[in-house]
Amino acid sequence: MISPVKIWRNQKKIEALLGKVGEIVSWTKVYVPPAGFISQAPYIVAVVKLKEGKNIICQYVDWGERELVIGQKVKTILRRTQESDTDGVIPYGVKVKPVN
Amino acid sequence: MTPVRILSGAVSKFGELWDVSPRDLVKEVVQKALTEAGLTTSSIDGVFVGNMLAGTLGNQDHLGAFFSEELGIFRGSISVEGACASGGLAVHSGVMAILSELYHHVLVIGVEKMTDHKPEDVAKGLMGAGSSAERESGATFPSLYALMAVAHMEKYGTTEEQMAAVSVKNHFHASLNPNAQFHTPITIEQVMKSSCIASPLKLLDCSPITDGAAAIILSKNKTKNEISIIASSVETDTLGVAERESLTSLASSVHASKEAYAQAGIKPSDIDVAEVHDCFSIAEILAMEDLGFFQKGEAAEAIFEGKTKLGSKKLVVNTSGGLKASGHPVGATGVKQIVEIYEQLKGKAGKRQVDGAKIGLTHNVGGSGATAVIHILRRN
Repeated sequence: MISPVKIWRNQKKIEALLGKVGEIVSWTKVYVPPAGFISQAPYIVAVVKLKEGKNIICQYVDWGERELVIGQKVKTILRRTQESDTDGVIPYGVKVKPVN
Repeated sequence: MTPVRILSGAVSKFGELWDVSPRDLVKEVVQKALTEAGLTTSSIDGVFVGNMLAGTLGNQDHLGAFFSEELGIFRGSISVEGACASGGLAVHSGVMAILSELYHHVLVIGVEKMTDHKPEDVAKGLMGAGSSAERESGATFPSLYALMAVAHMEKYGTTEEQMAAVSVKNHFHASLNPNAQFHTPITIEQVMKSSCIASPLKLLDCSPITDGAAAIILSKNKTKNEISIIASSVETDTLGVAERESLTSLASSVHASKEAYAQAGIKPSDIDVAEVHDCFSIAEILAMEDLGFFQKGEAAEAIFEGKTKLGSKKLVVNTSGGLKASGHPVGATGVKQIVEIYEQLKGKAGKRQVDGAKIGLTHNVGGSGATAVIHILRRN
């Protein structure tokens, strides 16, 4: 279940991660997703090293084949994450997209 | 460490066991273990149960009491959860219980019932072992190990064929194990052609969803022909993979194995047979390096050349078939690993016997490496 309280509490963490730049350290294309992500598959999950030094894990979106490489420069953006459940809460989170 | 004796060990058949309940699985292995040890339930004064998903998937928590009721052992009974290392942690807890001298005969059970549920629900349940950022990104366990595989390939030139060789070896070993989930040998070509789960990991790089149980009985008493646990160590790391210093090594495995070798007073080269945590093919390559059996970057080629396969004069790895081919009922795995090594040291492993095995190691990992549990067993 997606808890609205938990979503509200985590907003601050998301905000602190937006607008950062970094590069892809490793990536994988997920063909068999868990519940809540069925409609998005296949999708890319990546480990990203942010310029400020911290590593994060998130989805990599809006890429072209040439941008699917280790070392690709990316920036963090706000996107819808998983499918809503019966409460109708739409969860948002951090993803990255390429910058050239 | 003061040695803790293993009086007996038993495993159930591993596989899709739709007509068997968790109660039946546990009753079967405990009965076998008690008979072999020459004990009755009244001799057992402590029970440790390793399990991960009974609450999430089966709506049954409070497993200490749940299984005590089934077995009629109304003594101290404790459930232990540490993701896929739940079984190893239950064994570690049993060892501590004996060493504390509060308990005399401890029963350790590992059990998991997974095939009753839809694959996407099992995948989501297993992600309870990861970090919230991993869950929000739609990561699965295959994808977390895929991230490590990609990094290992980039750094050491490891190939998909070398990873496939892990599955080929473990399927061969499983073909000699009557309790294994799979008995069919496979080829590298079959692994390479199997459907992609999370690139570069394919279906046959991944351990299956499995039902199964295992049990051992530990004692402080000396017995004839004794086999003992001479090291028991646990180390932890960050829950998520992204926060770690390296994607090509599990620090928890490195540290836990060093601690275990120190407790036992032995070197990696003293180990004759090992059961390591090959939840994915890349995981066995990481384990071979992290446990000190090969230099970093050298394990993949060694496995490809068959150096850890049955018949090798040196260390043989995953004679049971490993998680890949014997099956991976997550809470049972860490206990099953102990039973496999126990049978090897007793010389009762049948067609998969490693001749003259005297010292064996088990390596059980929780999550993507947040927990690592090592046990070393020796025959006197």
